[in-house]
Amino acid sequence: MIPQQFINSGILEAYVTGSASEQEVQELLYMKATYPEVDEALAELELDMELIAREMAVMPPPGTWGKISDRIDDLILRPSEEPVPYQARQQQKEQTYNNGSTQTGPQYIEVEGESSHMRIHKAWRWAFAAVFVLGKIFLGCAIYFYLENRQAQMQMQELKTELKQLKK
Amino acid sequence: MEQQLIPADNAFQTGALTKHTLYTKYSGMLLGYIAEVVNNNKLAEQYLVDLFTELNEPQIKQLTQPGVNTFIGLQQMARKKLAAFVATLADCKPDERPKTEPIKNSYIERMNAEQQFVFCGIHYHSKTIGTLAIELDKTEDRIKQILKESFTIIRSTRDTATVHK
Repeated sequence: MIPQQFINSGILEAYVTGSASEQEVQELLYMKATYPEVDEALAELELDMELIAREMAVMPPPGTWGKISDRIDDLILRPSEEPVPYQARQQQKEQTYNNGSTQTGPQYIEVEGESSHMRIHKAWRWAFAAVFVLGKIFLGCAIYFYLENRQAQMQMQELKTELKQLKK
Repeated sequence: MEQQLIPADNAFQTGALTKHTLYTKYSGMLLGYIAEVVNNNKLAEQYLVDLFTELNEPQIKQLTQPGVNTFIGLQQMARKKLAAFVATLADCKPDERPKTEPIKNSYIERMNAEQQFVFCGIHYHSKTIGTLAIELDKTEDRIKQILKESFTIIRSTRDTATVHK
């Protein structure tokens, strides 16, 4: 098909609005790669679509990126799901079975995680902060009462000494 | 184990950075489009969140390649996500479908009723050219021509706006 005929056919418009058939898409990609004028016409149509969208743009609510960011963070915190070297552990287990009573007994899959790290919910940071602050308060109280107690004992000692002197 | 995790995390963070750039640039345009399709702002926001959360590294690379219109790529992804929603609307009886208000857009307002019906039917309501041909009792080639005419109007409006600037 001659490029101009292809441009006039309306396939480009159908493509940018997502209504082109699979066959039309394939044809378009070929024409786009072969003829620069088709590529240019498509770029212009894409710009038209962008202009329409720009005019109809709606500012997302302020917390929208936060929601996306939180969900991305959740994905990062999720431990990688790399396959555990099961073969090696199975061999280990077989050795255990061989050393033990039976070889054809039930085979268990170890479910305990090998990672030494623990993942907890963000809400726990407030609990940890509270424990830290309470710990500091208790420590302060302990020091204060210790000093108070020591002073009281010293005063008692002095009083006892005075009493003894008076008795004499 | 630790050494394997670090690059993966970095990749995620780089992805998140690029995602944020894409979000800053295109989220308003995408939300406007999605809101027009679903006709519900909360749901539109949810679709936007899903779209950006599921956007992965290879897709971002593909979208930001030179010669690729990033917005059109993102809009096509949004369109795919909305396909299920549009399909459920098609299953509804006409009186159960949410009422759509006429689209307010200076480009679309310049089109005639038929051009608006075809353009908005395809672009916002994901109707196929075949469906529109049946609805309007016209050939598919004629529908494509009407769609082309709609774009000619958009282009002329755009050119006029550029001249006035």
